[in-house]
Amino acid sequence: MTGHHLRAASIGAVVAFAATLALWWVRDDRPSPPRRVKQVIMSVRSGPQSLNWLTRHDATTYLVALLTQAPLVRINAATQEIEPWLAERWTRSDDGRRYRLMLRRDVRFSDGAPFTSDDVVFSFAAAFDPASTIADALTLKGQRIRAERIDAHTVDVIFPATYGPELRVLDVLPILPKHRLENALDTGTFGEAWSVSTPPADIVGLGPFVLTTHEAGVRLVFDRNPHYFRRDSDGRVLPRLDRLVLQILPDQEAQTLSLRAGENDGSASEIRPADYPLFKPMDEAGELRLLDLGTARNPDGLWINLKPGAFETDSRRVWLQRDELRQAISLGVDRTRFVDIVFNGAADPINGPLPPRSHSWAADLPPVPFDPELARARLASIGLEDRDSDGMLDDQGTRHARLTLITQKGQTALERGATNIRDQMKAIGLEIDVRMMEAGALIQQFLSGGGYDAVYFNLTTTDTDPASQLDFWKSDGAAHVWNLGPLHKTLAWEDDIDALMDRQVTSLDVKERKRLFGEVQRLFSEHAPIVYFAAPRVFVAVSRRLTGLNPAVSRPQLLWAADTLDVIQ
Amino acid sequence: MTARFFLRRGLAAICFVFLVSSAAVFLTRLAPGDFVAQTRGTTISPTEAARMRARLGLDRTAAGQYVSWLSGVVRFDLGASFIDGRPVATVVAERAKNTAWLAVAALALATCLGVGVGTLTGSRRGVWWSAVLTQLSLALLALPPLLTSLMLIFFAATTRWLPVSGMRSPATMSGALDVAWHSIVPVMALALPMAASFERVHARSIEATLAEPYLVAARARGVGEARILWSAAMRPALRSLASIYGVAAAALFSGSFAVEMVTAWPGLGRLLVEALVARDVYLVAGCALAGSMILALLTLCGELLLAAVDPRAVE
Repeated sequence: MTGHHLRAASIGAVVAFAATLALWWVRDDRPSPPRRVKQVIMSVRSGPQSLNWLTRHDATTYLVALLTQAPLVRINAATQEIEPWLAERWTRSDDGRRYRLMLRRDVRFSDGAPFTSDDVVFSFAAAFDPASTIADALTLKGQRIRAERIDAHTVDVIFPATYGPELRVLDVLPILPKHRLENALDTGTFGEAWSVSTPPADIVGLGPFVLTTHEAGVRLVFDRNPHYFRRDSDGRVLPRLDRLVLQILPDQEAQTLSLRAGENDGSASEIRPADYPLFKPMDEAGELRLLDLGTARNPDGLWINLKPGAFETDSRRVWLQRDELRQAISLGVDRTRFVDIVFNGAADPINGPLPPRSHSWAADLPPVPFDPELARARLASIGLEDRDSDGMLDDQGTRHARLTLITQKGQTALERGATNIRDQMKAIGLEIDVRMMEAGALIQQFLSGGGYDAVYFNLTTTDTDPASQLDFWKSDGAAHVWNLGPLHKTLAWEDDIDALMDRQVTSLDVKERKRLFGEVQRLFSEHAPIVYFAAPRVFVAVSRRLTGLNPAVSRPQLLWAADTLDVIQ
Repeated sequence: MTARFFLRRGLAAICFVFLVSSAAVFLTRLAPGDFVAQTRGTTISPTEAARMRARLGLDRTAAGQYVSWLSGVVRFDLGASFIDGRPVATVVAERAKNTAWLAVAALALATCLGVGVGTLTGSRRGVWWSAVLTQLSLALLALPPLLTSLMLIFFAATTRWLPVSGMRSPATMSGALDVAWHSIVPVMALALPMAASFERVHARSIEATLAEPYLVAARARGVGEARILWSAAMRPALRSLASIYGVAAAALFSGSFAVEMVTAWPGLGRLLVEALVARDVYLVAGCALAGSMILALLTLCGELLLAAVDPRAVE
């Protein structure tokens, strides 16, 4: 190497080193926010589809609504109890259909405009705009729930029939500022109002924060709403934070790494079961906090296509839709082993859609034992036996009893769960082929009601009250997944469940509602249209500086109560 | 001849862009599942789902939707994203800018490193440091950008010396410097394997050029080694690199898609994945259109570069 080369290489190295140092130095020297600014950074998987919750239903739009808007009454996500929110109290008429709500006085929107009953009536009207996606939730027996103005601070909410959950349904309806959106509703442009392109200053609400910055795909910044109506039990103004930043990190690996690197304070949703071993040592070392929030409310389940006639030309029709097959699957899976393999032990074995530890509505059902012999006996009763002594069950025509189980690709718990079911079923001689599909393709497949044998998937519900899950329980519901699609006929026991649910929804007697729903669960357990195995425990990982947490099992576990969130400076 | 060459290349590029974006519309539309099933699943009633499909044009046939998209494209209207209703052109432009920065920065770094180190290793075979650099190059060459970025991210997360995700600090967002700071991991992840590739090509080229008789004669006439290397050998040696530059730049652009996902860089690759997952037909088509245009442009630039250093290529 000549002297020239050495000199050039040395200069290059020194320049590169100096540039790196300069970048580092300048970065560290950046003016940091003043110490008094209390700021928290949480990560979310995607940006909002809209800034108007009434027109889009993705998780981040919901989060934006939670932070910037407020409903008349709120469901406390931690206790599942209904709480007065913008309505401070209410009375119910004798016929149980009319509720008189007394609104809080001296409440102002984030732009300083006063909140009145006109805003409530307007919000009900907006909920039934053609662009609204919450109209179904505010419809009972085909008729709308209405709001009538009594005076500036009193409003009547009228139900078309008595409704068991009473005012819980109002939790889905944020009260929107009439003075800002009236024109859009009148001109038929409500669907485009408050889109992601809307300047943040135009988004006005009654929630604890106001949106100040939205950089698509990068972040959302919320500053405290100076007009927020709530105070804590000590009379101090809320929210406690000055600023909340939602960092958009689309990849869960990136979220995990970012939290590990201390770049944010946590994720808006739970960690994956697979990440538990990663975060546990960090919790023990005091680097962050791992919170165990309890058992998930929406477990994964397996169902077989029970649509009458779905297997008309298939030789398996004599056994594929029989109750005994699903009962055998339930009996043949060792749930303890399932929990260990699929969830690293962090789950509760279950045998129904409502995990008893997280659902006050769960009936006391007898546990399903792990009994391979009984499972084989059930299968034998529908003609499935090992006729050629190869260890696998055969149907009457000596073909292997075989079915295909489809599940969602990329969801570790579903992938592991489906393969574990396949492995455990093989031990009792039932052959299951597992096929992974993308979520949309999978959903479209089973929504069409045909072209599949069995599905292993997760159905999400937002509220725990059974009346809010009619789409799942009732045979004409959109989430009645085991018997769906056009020209569907109900099964005999489904008619019984329909009748019980109709009575359950309209009863105002909580005890009676619980009794009726217990009956529903017993029928469900007997016919097992969906077989459940385990409900995972829910963990969130957060930085140690976060205080004032009021975590809930359901999403968003921490930010549902963002107004009490605080940090140690 | 030159004009015909560029006209031919230009027409090929237009056909390429048209085919890629058209295929994107058809493939996304024909793939199982649609935007409504993907984003609303079982949380929507069949009536509401049908209304939503009609509003988004998903009740039409794939051909009908393609014709509608194409008639918009000729008027420079790429449609609106199903996801958030924003114009596709705006969304794509925002993200393409970020990807372009990543690709240009990585290409510049890879070129500087590749040419610099390649010149040194090619001119000094048999020296210990040359052997070490060659082995290092071979090791980097074997690593795809995805793996390099994972290793760099692991390093950054463990040491906390560098940011691991995003393009800016979520709390402060202090401008260009912050972007440069956040670019270090993704740019290095992209540049290092590419630099290794450039180094190998250029080192061999330098070695072969230095053995040319006219340079041996120059050396015999007493011309200094440094002058021979940097003045006489460099330009002809760059021909080899120029011949692969367009392809390499295109590969780097494609590699940036994987790196963007891992490092949460808000670029075109991440947008394309998000659009594909949501089955946002017009957004996928917009990303494909922008991506194929950039690819065609990079390939064309590579050819121009080659033409500049070796006019025979035009012929």
